Amino acid sequence: MLETETVEILLVEDTPADAELALHALKKSKVANHILHVRDGAEALDFMFCRGAYCLRSEENRPVLVLLDLKLPKVDGLQVLKQIKSDPRTMAIPVIMMTSSKEESDVAAGYQLGVNSYIQKPVNYGEFQEAVRQLGMYWLLVNTKPPEAAFQTR
Amino acid sequence: MDFLRQVFGAGEFMPHGYCYMWNPGLVWLHVVSDSLIALSYFTIPFTLLWFVRKRRDLPFSWMFVLFGAFIVACGATHVMEVWNLWHAQYWLAGGLKALTAIASLGTAILLARLVPQALERPNISQWARANAALESEIHERRELEIDLRISESRCREQAELLDLTHDAVIVRNLRNEITYWNHGAEELYGWRAEEIMGKVTHELFQTVFPKAPAEIERETLESGSWEGELTHGRRDGSVVTVSSRWVLHKDEQGSPNGILESNREITAKQAAEETERKSDEENRQREIRFRLFIAAVKDYSIVSLDPDGFVTTWNAGAQRLKGYSAEEIIGQHMSRFYPEADIASGKAESGLRQAASAGHMEDQDWRVRKDGSQFWAEVAITAVHDSAGKLIGFVKIAKDITSRRDSEEQIRKLNVELTQRVEELGSANRELESFSYSVSHDLRAPLRHMDGFARILKQEHSSKMAPEAIVYVDRILEAATHMGQLIDDLLNLARIGRQELKREKKQMAGLVKQVMAELPAEAQERSIEWRIEPLPEMNCDPGLVKLVFANLLANAVKFTRLQPVAVIEVGSRITGGQLTIFVRDNGVGFDPRYADKLFGVFQRLHRQEDFEGTGIGLVTVQRIIRRHGGEIWVESQVDAGTTFFFTLGPLSQSSGEPRTKEVESA
Repeated sequence: MLETETVEILLVEDTPADAELALHALKKSKVANHILHVRDGAEALDFMFCRGAYCLRSEENRPVLVLLDLKLPKVDGLQVLKQIKSDPRTMAIPVIMMTSSKEESDVAAGYQLGVNSYIQKPVNYGEFQEAVRQLGMYWLLVNTKPPEAAFQTR
Repeated sequence: MDFLRQVFGAGEFMPHGYCYMWNPGLVWLHVVSDSLIALSYFTIPFTLLWFVRKRRDLPFSWMFVLFGAFIVACGATHVMEVWNLWHAQYWLAGGLKALTAIASLGTAILLARLVPQALERPNISQWARANAALESEIHERRELEIDLRISESRCREQAELLDLTHDAVIVRNLRNEITYWNHGAEELYGWRAEEIMGKVTHELFQTVFPKAPAEIERETLESGSWEGELTHGRRDGSVVTVSSRWVLHKDEQGSPNGILESNREITAKQAAEETERKSDEENRQREIRFRLFIAAVKDYSIVSLDPDGFVTTWNAGAQRLKGYSAEEIIGQHMSRFYPEADIASGKAESGLRQAASAGHMEDQDWRVRKDGSQFWAEVAITAVHDSAGKLIGFVKIAKDITSRRDSEEQIRKLNVELTQRVEELGSANRELESFSYSVSHDLRAPLRHMDGFARILKQEHSSKMAPEAIVYVDRILEAATHMGQLIDDLLNLARIGRQELKREKKQMAGLVKQVMAELPAEAQERSIEWRIEPLPEMNCDPGLVKLVFANLLANAVKFTRLQPVAVIEVGSRITGGQLTIFVRDNGVGFDPRYADKLFGVFQRLHRQEDFEGTGIGLVTVQRIIRRHGGEIWVESQVDAGTTFFFTLGPLSQSSGEPRTKEVESA
């Protein structure tokens, strides 16, 4: 897949229904035009590190936000988080875990690996829509994006 | 002068010869006779004087002197007779005669007066008798003297013998004055006998007594002797400890007249020897007692063996355990107690060898009683060596632990079972955990989808839907919400069972305040009178107890919904050593007959359309309280409100200091 346009939000979600609902909510919130949906952890990492199908992608063309599910095929969400947050090329990119688990161990592991936010997907879709709208507003409009210097190897 | 001349002169008298007419014969007769008489008379006093001097014991010796004087005077008159034959000094002669007369007269009178006294004096026969008596007395005395001499020499001999002993021997009278002091005493104390005779012993020695001296003296007088240790000062100032023995001495009448004290120095070595002797004796006594004790022990078989394994002693416990009496078994070999297979394999001997080389061996195995029955024995064999290190035998202690072995077997079995159960429980727990994890993830996902798509349908497509269709969509949404609530509550409940209790001191009042702030919007919107009493500090898991209050207060809010003025009270009481907290409302209440159903999972006493709920809240509350070691119960009547009471375990464990009163209302 050749990606030349800037991806604003990378949505990592394996469940099609969840992905559909999330995309629906994101679109309705009108905070982003370019959302890329990948279906497993491996694909997410390929994208982040410009490998495999994304080998032609420019590293400088970073996503503004990563929405990451916890339970993922191949490489699970926490592994993906760990690799993003331990690599200088990607560590400054905000990652938000969006998951149905409220297990304390999962929340703790996420924060220990440097997650920027942790959201439990509510059963009530209305609440979910509201949450997505708020986080889109915050991370894409209110928050100051990391400058180029934040990605330089020291 | 004239008188003298007259006395010593002749005067006009004629010489006496003239009277004899100077007849030569007559004159010389007178001359010779008078001269001889005078001479005889003059010699008599000398003889008397000599006699008197020789016999000084004579009574009336002055009488002899008087006689002497009178005879001399008589003699002088006869000399005068001769003189006057030629010299006519008659005055002088008369004077002499007068003197003689006086002496004669005096002698005669005195003699007459003397006669009665003289008559009283014993006569010869009496003298003879007296003499005989005297002689026999002399004889007796001489014999006594000989006896005395013998006894004196014997005494000397004894004294010399006493001098031979190294013990200090001292005799003192009842005033404690020294009357005898032997050589040993001189050696020991440094004083010579002649220096200290008559001195008071205790003052001399500055004796240190083991108890009051008066008491010791009384004891000596009563029992006749005393023995003990004394500390004495020597002449050179040094101090010596002596073993002292006092013996009371009595005279022939049997009344005490002195004390013989014999003292022997106790040197450090002797003291040590004495102590050793005593401790040897004590050891011996202890050993005897020890033997008796061992013999009396009934719960353990305690047996001593010679180096070859033959029984030498056998206690009551051994008899009880193995059935043999001491008479039967002493001298028998210990292998007799082993099962045949063990006898054949030489187990007894190898056990002894092991004990001999290692000093000790322990074993648990079957042993055989006299009647052939077997028991499981716990045996310890200890090698015993003499002071030179030579093996002198063994002590074998055994106990029948058959029942213990059975119990241990039982315990082992139970333990194995328990371990299995724990493993099963562990795996069940792990399954449960993964189950709740997947519930948390996977069961919720479809719900989300149902809710999500139904909501999109309603939001974006309701214009194209029939009114009933919209109602159905609402039903789907309600069902999804309820299912979500059920899942959340069940996961909570499961988590409470799993998670560890984290107790800390916490203000209940603060916790209640927090819960009130987080109550659903309904509570804030309605008119509720809150009566919150001062609550104590309690030692509990605050997160969980908060959940208790959250459930109970939410319930109270929910079930007072129909009251015009809802009243919700929270307070505490101390009853029976327990702090009880209560939450009371004036809500709809329930029939107390169903109170026991209240705490069952999914049990509800109200219809869902009246009062919503999952039926898990109170189960969760009960589980939290039970995990704290507390209890929860409820009092209610239909339309008369409900009161929940709960404790969090014993007061000492669950409560802190009571706090000041704070009443809140909202």
